[in-house]
Amino acid sequence: MFEILTPMFLSLIVGGTLIGIIFGAIPGMTATMAVAVCLPLTYSLGLENGLALLLGLYVGGISGGLVPAILLGIPGTPSSITTTFDGYPMAKRGEGEKALRIGIVSSFVGGIISLAILWLFAPTLADFAIKFSYVEKFLIIFFALTVMAALSSDMLLGIFSGVLGIFVALIGTYDITKGGNGNMRLVPPGTEYWLDSGFSLLPVLIGLFGLAAILEQAEIGVPKGHSLEDIDVGKKSGFSFSIFKGQSVNLTRSSLIGTFVGILPGVGGSAASIISYTNAKTFSKTPENFGKGEPAGIMASESGNNGLTGGALVPLLSLGIPGDSTTALLIGAFTLQGIQVGPLFIGNNPGTWDAMIIAMLIANIAMLVMMYVAIRYFALVVTIPKHILFPVILMMCVIGAYTINYGIMFDVWTLLIFGLFGWLVVKLKLEVAPFIIGFILGPSAEVYFVKSLESFGDVTIFFTKSWIAVVLWLLIIGSVAGSIMLSRRAKQGAGVV
Amino acid sequence: MGQLTQVTIDFETSHLLFPTIIACVLGLLGLAIVIRDRAKIATAGTYWSGIWQNMDKPRFLGTIVLTLLYFSLMVPVGDIWPNTGRGFLFCSIPFVFLTGLLFMHERTIKSILPLAVVSVVGPVFVWWLFTYPLFLTLP
Repeated sequence: MFEILTPMFLSLIVGGTLIGIIFGAIPGMTATMAVAVCLPLTYSLGLENGLALLLGLYVGGISGGLVPAILLGIPGTPSSITTTFDGYPMAKRGEGEKALRIGIVSSFVGGIISLAILWLFAPTLADFAIKFSYVEKFLIIFFALTVMAALSSDMLLGIFSGVLGIFVALIGTYDITKGGNGNMRLVPPGTEYWLDSGFSLLPVLIGLFGLAAILEQAEIGVPKGHSLEDIDVGKKSGFSFSIFKGQSVNLTRSSLIGTFVGILPGVGGSAASIISYTNAKTFSKTPENFGKGEPAGIMASESGNNGLTGGALVPLLSLGIPGDSTTALLIGAFTLQGIQVGPLFIGNNPGTWDAMIIAMLIANIAMLVMMYVAIRYFALVVTIPKHILFPVILMMCVIGAYTINYGIMFDVWTLLIFGLFGWLVVKLKLEVAPFIIGFILGPSAEVYFVKSLESFGDVTIFFTKSWIAVVLWLLIIGSVAGSIMLSRRAKQGAGVV
Repeated sequence: MGQLTQVTIDFETSHLLFPTIIACVLGLLGLAIVIRDRAKIATAGTYWSGIWQNMDKPRFLGTIVLTLLYFSLMVPVGDIWPNTGRGFLFCSIPFVFLTGLLFMHERTIKSILPLAVVSVVGPVFVWWLFTYPLFLTLP
């Protein structure tokens, strides 16, 4: 197990975490973008080393968002939105460094608790999922898409986005290697040469999370970087671990909420931190202090969003369903190395599984040490000019797309098509996460659906195959009904106000 | 009832089954959205003109134009020196510089100089990294 701990492996984790923190700390750049940009580097690193880099980027990227959230009141990543509520007021009263250290330690706690849950539950869930037939596998995907759509800000648009993702994924040949008949469909005349295998996953992801994010920034004029005068870390730290006294329940609850939210497919870190924060405020003895610089608010937000990191890997490694956008990109890393994630992954690749757990653990420790010790220097990251960063990121996006299939220029055009599409999706109020999950799971959903019908010849099989199928249908109905009820309650609440 | 739920799938046309179902579901969902949001859709012109008015047009459209030029020129330039990745290198340097200039707010010598250095060093380093240690062919 420990033979994996080579200097290369360790330095990739630490380097990845460092780059991730920098990406997370710059508003407009995210952990997902960091992973998308660095994905092509994993080609020649091998799977374990490649994952070490990407998991470091993931943990660092989620954690780095707290820096601008606290110092500037701008969330570096969407998952740090609630960190601004109490972090920024603390920074304004000269307690910036104290707030940052509270956030860093809370992030570490969230990361470690979620990692423990990943380690305990993913193999169990995978063992259980191995018994699934095509019917249950299809229903699991259907359930994942339903949950994701139900938790979207607009359920109808969320479902539409997910189904649109499936539709786009079906473009190309019905793969013979997966039991298809090798015929092409949904391919416009004249494009058969390029779309024979449909759109490649990674250029699509890089376009949606790299180029689209830069286009959004260009649309608003690429806001000027922040100057040194904007940053007030405070003259002295004022931080002591005694501040966590009496906060173990808050930290544990928030970490568990983050982990659970991470397990739900397509639900991002912003939901994890908002739910954790709301709960912390509800159960607090001094809820009136929240939003005015209450350390417990930072603890809830940061342990919640870092709790996501391990949680999002649970469905990925046990069912092959990504828990969020960043873990969707990790599928790309596995694809590059010719490995399919799903129920068989952990059993068939114990070395890789161990390497991932160790990498996540070291990434969390590296994040804690680097940010705790050098937080004053990380604070300076927000001053890096975007007019230098963004063009370099665009160039890296091109490399990522071009090298994915060993040099196909159509993949670079795919990057542009989906970059523009990603910008348009936001304008049309559609949801990117359900689209991506639909795009990733679409081909598998097709195979499971068609093979189920070919095998059993009856549509009722989806309801009668096993007790698992019945439970899945109940969960599907429950998630839709729950979402409708919540939406009605929200509307009624708005009406009362 | 039993016969109603029975399905026989012809292997030759099985590639069309799922896409047809998904297209129908997509159409129904689209219809439901149009019916529900008809008032919003009727005033969509105002929404889009608002986006157009508030947009930083030079930066947004300039990014798209530069990216289009970058992608279009990379292969023809690369074909002059096949399999060397120089198409990427020689197109990336001006692309990074011009995009950086486009995104820059105050274009002074002091701010242009670091950009010029990065726009040369960045692509050269990436080209070297992918061509030699990683053995990946660039355009």
